[in-house]
Amino acid sequence: MSFAAPSDALGAEYLERGYVVRDVADPAAHEWIVTTTARVAAEALGVPAPSGLGASVEFMDGVHGRVAPAALNDFRVAVIHGINALAELRPAYFAVARPYLEAIVGNELAMQQRVNLSIQMPGDTSSLLAVHADTWSGDSPYEVVAWLPLVHCYGTKTMYLLPPRHAAAFDAQFARLAGASSETAFEAMRDQVEWLEVRSGQVIVFDQSLPHGNRVNDESETRWSMNCRFKGVFTPYGDKKLGEFFEPITLRPASRRGMGYRLPSVQ
Amino acid sequence: MSRLRGYIFARPFMGERAPQHVQNIVLRDYCQRRGHELLLAATEYAMEDSTLILATVLDELTEIDGIVMYSLFQLPRDAAGRRHVVDRVLAAGKSLHFAVEGMRITDAEEAAAVERCWLVRTAMEPAAPAAPSAP
Repeated sequence: MSFAAPSDALGAEYLERGYVVRDVADPAAHEWIVTTTARVAAEALGVPAPSGLGASVEFMDGVHGRVAPAALNDFRVAVIHGINALAELRPAYFAVARPYLEAIVGNELAMQQRVNLSIQMPGDTSSLLAVHADTWSGDSPYEVVAWLPLVHCYGTKTMYLLPPRHAAAFDAQFARLAGASSETAFEAMRDQVEWLEVRSGQVIVFDQSLPHGNRVNDESETRWSMNCRFKGVFTPYGDKKLGEFFEPITLRPASRRGMGYRLPSVQ
Repeated sequence: MSRLRGYIFARPFMGERAPQHVQNIVLRDYCQRRGHELLLAATEYAMEDSTLILATVLDELTEIDGIVMYSLFQLPRDAAGRRHVVDRVLAAGKSLHFAVEGMRITDAEEAAAVERCWLVRTAMEPAAPAAPSAP
């Protein structure tokens, strides 16, 4: 008897590489996310909104021509608040990655309550994420990140990840490297990290317990990417708790029945 | 306006836990009320007794005016470790603040007051449960 499923190949790839890259599962949801984000950004800048998917990507790629580095954080916060205020965002976000999350995590899921947005302009040093694993900051190792590029991400315009085959060696030196400068830690893994090239229209699901981060964007375009954490709703929680950080989104009928079940009274 | 680096925890401390976003709110409120500029908080690692992030913040002291921790009970658990942190801050002529308690250390007298809180709190901690005796 075999319990193998078609999704096992995806799971094997995730275990081997620490991530998978796939085409978005719901192109309409993806287009809504990209064009809506561009519209919210245009409103924040007080300029006309681009029309359509291609124009939205082009607008975001070139936003460094409209936003001064000193104004970037306020701009980013305005866009994050604007898109997270839209009830359609989280269902759309889930839709672009759903089959991959169900294959890697499960079909009863908890989702982060807010979707994060990264905007990394060329040459900007204020948006850097030094080498880290989310688990080091209290995230549960049962969590994964769905990372959605809104533009084509390549070279230093994307993120890097240390694959599982190298992570154990890094962990063995953790006390020395993590207490040193972030540059020292990156140099220790520079030759082993993978830069995750991905275009708008694809999504990454990666293991946030693996060291990852970004560097100064030396490309000529601005990176726009979103990230959101998912985990099995009944798996252990870390410092990011149910209710304050995660929300159950796909409870199945048997779980709903089980949670409400009480043994008959014998009194 | 003093520029204070925030410092929060990603793990429980002394049997207590505060969500990270709540710790940040308390830091922001403390700094606003006292006219300090809050610099983005550094989050200590989740690993038990880790002070690696605190060490990197201390290395940054020449560029800031001090550190604001969410709680004084996020100082190192061992007395020598706490003394080391306080000595580094005072030797640099900077200040150490504790937002939830509304306390600060700018001199030896204030350092002694904080240490007394630590000693009393430690004395109040429930003793480890005794091993069950054989029947």
